[in-house]
Amino acid sequence: MRLTIKITLAILLGVVLIFSVYSYLSIQREREQLKRNLSREARHIGESLRVIVTELWQQRGEDEALGFLLRANQGYSETLVRWVWIRENSPLSHQPRVPLAHLDRLRFEETVTLMAASDEGYDFLLTYLPVLIPGEDMGAIELTESMEEMHDYIQESLRRSAIVVAALVVSGLLLMTVLGSIWVGRPMRKLRAQAERIGTGDFTTSVNLSGSDELAELSSTIERMRGQLAQARDAEQAAQAAKFEALEKLRHTERLATLGQLSAGMAHELGTPLNVIAGRAKLIAREGLPAEDITRSANIIHEQAQRMTGIMRQLLSFARRGEARKQPVDINLVIHAVLPLLEPTLNKQQVEFCVEDTPSELLVYADAAQLQQVLLNLILNGIHAMPAGGKITLSCFAATTVTVPDSVANPDQSWACLQVTDEGSGIDPEVQQRMFDPFFTTKDVGEGTGLGLSIAYGIIQEHGGWIAVDSVPGNGSSFRVYLPLACRGGAA
Amino acid sequence: MEAVCLDLTPRVLLAEDDKELRELLALVLENASYEVCQCSNGEQLLARLTEQRSFNLVISDIRMPGLDGLEVLARRSGKMQEIPFICMTAFGDERIHRRARDLGAAAIIDKPFDLDEMMELVAHVCLRSERN
Repeated sequence: MRLTIKITLAILLGVVLIFSVYSYLSIQREREQLKRNLSREARHIGESLRVIVTELWQQRGEDEALGFLLRANQGYSETLVRWVWIRENSPLSHQPRVPLAHLDRLRFEETVTLMAASDEGYDFLLTYLPVLIPGEDMGAIELTESMEEMHDYIQESLRRSAIVVAALVVSGLLLMTVLGSIWVGRPMRKLRAQAERIGTGDFTTSVNLSGSDELAELSSTIERMRGQLAQARDAEQAAQAAKFEALEKLRHTERLATLGQLSAGMAHELGTPLNVIAGRAKLIAREGLPAEDITRSANIIHEQAQRMTGIMRQLLSFARRGEARKQPVDINLVIHAVLPLLEPTLNKQQVEFCVEDTPSELLVYADAAQLQQVLLNLILNGIHAMPAGGKITLSCFAATTVTVPDSVANPDQSWACLQVTDEGSGIDPEVQQRMFDPFFTTKDVGEGTGLGLSIAYGIIQEHGGWIAVDSVPGNGSSFRVYLPLACRGGAA
Repeated sequence: MEAVCLDLTPRVLLAEDDKELRELLALVLENASYEVCQCSNGEQLLARLTEQRSFNLVISDIRMPGLDGLEVLARRSGKMQEIPFICMTAFGDERIHRRARDLGAAAIIDKPFDLDEMMELVAHVCLRSERN
């Protein structure tokens, strides 16, 4: 709307300027025309008077002629007719109103017309007609015409012009206010509201202005833009969802790969009780077994089946990926959940596992299943680093002095640290730089996906923490997982 | 156990860390008229083998706490090596099979196994050993 007023004012200013110049030029032209008319009129009167005065002067003498001129004034209300001498030292009543210097041309017998102002500020048109009387000094008839009438006329013209200009401005403003609101203001408001909606991400409402003006074009452009933005957002959301899904699948695959690594140990763990069950069942099936032996065998079968159920449950609970859910989790519980899964593998590889004194409760805000996976990966890596057996030490504590990496979003908080230390071959500095890269592996084909550490790192990063490594080649490695400490019942 | 060997009663030295499996195998072997001497780990097995050489057969689990079956197999010396040695394993790993064979195991049986299958194997190994 402000733009409409600006444009209106600019147009009106132009119109007023043009009109004013036109009026000024018109008035000037009329003024000149009027002056010429008056001058011509005065000359005609003067010519007539000159003939009469010359005749009278020559036939009846000076007094009669000048008396005639005095009397002539009575017939003209506006024009004052006088006799003037064109010489120095003439009596005051016969001196010209203007200095003699302005009347030089009278000496060449030319009529002189000029404008003069009285002492009171009134303008006059003076016309001098030379009169030559033989034997006399040069004289002239002076006709004085007041310009007041012309001034009044010009004033009136100016007043009318001013009224027209004012009417033009007022009606222009009124019209533009009303029409500007209808043609510009209202559609602009709609377009602005639409732009604001699009800005806030609301692509549902469409705005279509009718007509074929620039605003209608702008509205269809905005419509096209809205459609493209909505499409782009949908595509981006779909891509994001696909990415999440792929990541989730990859993590699940890695869980299954971890399970695969654990399975050899698990097979041993399951093979023995299965052997006992099968054997005992066979014993029972044979005829002639004493009743007490049958009962004993049945009880053993039951115990062994329970033992297998326990192992299966642990495996399944790890393999099954439930809804990712972060909540305050005690790290001790996570450690105790992975121990039974690891035990057979630890035994098989003759690795001693030791959990150092840990606080009775160390809460972190995390997805327990994901944390289990990270811990399993780190411990399995430790086991693989010690093919001839050794010792893995696990400890967790509230870290007091920590150097937080720059990549961590919220560095100002308390940290829980989960540390896995092995006595393996250590990690070369070169490998340390790449060990968290996806598909980087130092293991043989088929022994590792190269995703374990990369996924562990991703999971911990998603939890707002990081993984640090200390390793001296030949002297073992120590992986430290840092996670924000949580309070019970709330987020970290 | 006495160091007397009766031809009709073959003596079996059985090493298995899982108590239930060990007792089951012992029961079945005894029912089949074998005399069974039980050990729960590799150290005991090696000690029994060293002090008495009158066993007709050794049946040992490979994975046991402390000294494992393969190590016992490797540490056998002199006459001890003549006693047929059956290995039991739940790892089913070809490398372990190969290693056990290389160390002189008479047979390797994967857990879980059928008891009849085991008894057939025991009878077969004993017979082969007697022939030699």
